[in-house]
Amino acid sequence: MDVLLQILASGLTLGAVYAISTVGLALVFGAMNMLNMSHGALMALGGYMAWFMVTGFGLPPVAGMLAAVLVCAAVGVLIYLLIAKPMLQSEGFETRIFIATIGFGAMLESVILMAFGPQPKPQPLAVQGGFSLAGVHLPIQNLLILVLSMLLMAALALLLQKSRIGRAIRATAQNRDAARLMGVRIGVVYALVLGISGGLAAISGITVSSLSSLLPNMGGDPMLKAFIICVVAGLGRVPGSVIAALFIGLFEAVVQYTIGVRFSFALLLLLVIVVLIWKPQGVFGRQQGVRL
Amino acid sequence: MPDELVISHLTAGYGHQSVLQDLSLRAEAGRLTALIGPNGHGKTTLLRAISGLIRPKSGEIRLGAERISGLGAETIVARGIVHVPQGDLLFPDMTVLENLRMGAFLPAAARQEKSVLEEVFTLLPKLRDRQSQIARTLSGGERRMVGIGRGLMASGRVLMLDEPSLGLAPIVIEQIYEVIAGLRRAGRSILLVEENAMRAAVIADQVHLLDHGTLAWSGTGAELSGRSELLETYLGV
Repeated sequence: MDVLLQILASGLTLGAVYAISTVGLALVFGAMNMLNMSHGALMALGGYMAWFMVTGFGLPPVAGMLAAVLVCAAVGVLIYLLIAKPMLQSEGFETRIFIATIGFGAMLESVILMAFGPQPKPQPLAVQGGFSLAGVHLPIQNLLILVLSMLLMAALALLLQKSRIGRAIRATAQNRDAARLMGVRIGVVYALVLGISGGLAAISGITVSSLSSLLPNMGGDPMLKAFIICVVAGLGRVPGSVIAALFIGLFEAVVQYTIGVRFSFALLLLLVIVVLIWKPQGVFGRQQGVRL
Repeated sequence: MPDELVISHLTAGYGHQSVLQDLSLRAEAGRLTALIGPNGHGKTTLLRAISGLIRPKSGEIRLGAERISGLGAETIVARGIVHVPQGDLLFPDMTVLENLRMGAFLPAAARQEKSVLEEVFTLLPKLRDRQSQIARTLSGGERRMVGIGRGLMASGRVLMLDEPSLGLAPIVIEQIYEVIAGLRRAGRSILLVEENAMRAAVIADQVHLLDHGTLAWSGTGAELSGRSELLETYLGV
């Protein structure tokens, strides 16, 4: 029983971390058919910005986190203006933006490497200590991540479902031409979606680095996992990707405990293969590629 | 007339291909103007050029005194031209009500959303019963009604309907055309694309026949009914 709870706790934390990075990707793909390969670099930037604001400027942790979110959101908007917008009308946008963002991500990572060096740094935005509940040891940091992730998901769901701009985002995702005919400024929607995704990447980078440490290439692995989760859920399906993230977090925790850490990634990939044979468009995906 | 739609010397198309060649015509305010002609001869392209989904290569489109050609689709709808596109282009994962409300997305339309929604439900009572249904699961006729209803929600000055009868059963076509006839009686400015010339002749005040992207004939609906040689030549009726 204790073991079960322990697995549940660590699996949900893992899933919560994945969820934050995955919805950012899913949102952008859902709204504009764009696979943002620089998402991992944005996560690293967010982690380093928080570190820099707190240790360099002496900002309080929450302010440091907000500053990191703002910086990454701004970079997200810049990605739209400087990279996505010029090629939006061109043929083969999906492929071009995929390659272009790989390039941008590599650039951003190099800048981080030059600015902060290759040595791992501790993330100051981490709470030490833990407590025991029903015989299970829970680090406070994990609990914070879980709560933060749930709050973010709820806020995002509220934004998408209830607000005017959320309706515009969903309309654009479901039918770009129809959204324009309703008067939706899709350029604004795209910039906003990339901004939100950038902000989420920052938080994701902070949570990931708070569990390990800061490295310029720290975003690579979580981004890969996020893509896997996106594909399992069905590309661009935002609520589905949250569920898939939590499920895959739990799956990894179970595998790590029962069979061993070294099998977790291999089994995860096996799971992806099985899912794609069973449902090529993802568990929550639809044939037509209609999203959100 | 402030709501008159005037197209002068319009050339438009896709890529390097021009579907419309130096086309000039007008759609008068408060009347129903029908565009007929064989498929692939520019009717839909004209609507897409007017609503800004494609940018005209040359020529000019005016709504009243204002030049609207060259503006983007999201700006043109704010000027009052509402395009109900072919194939409906609904938001498939939204409910009927959400689709309708998207029609009133712009602030000016949103302010009168409630009262216009009531009007739409009166005109298309089936939508009231279906409001919480997801659009993807609707029948073809219901989708068409949502498409038209969503267009009406915009409270525009000119309503453009692209083949509202396309792919529907005869009985549903009749229902849709009753709705259009009602809008005409209410004095709305309507630009209607219709493949079936006889149907257009019955409902339209003015008919324009497009052939190879140019204006082949213009006249009233009654005149069209008497010109059987036109129908034979261009439409194979």
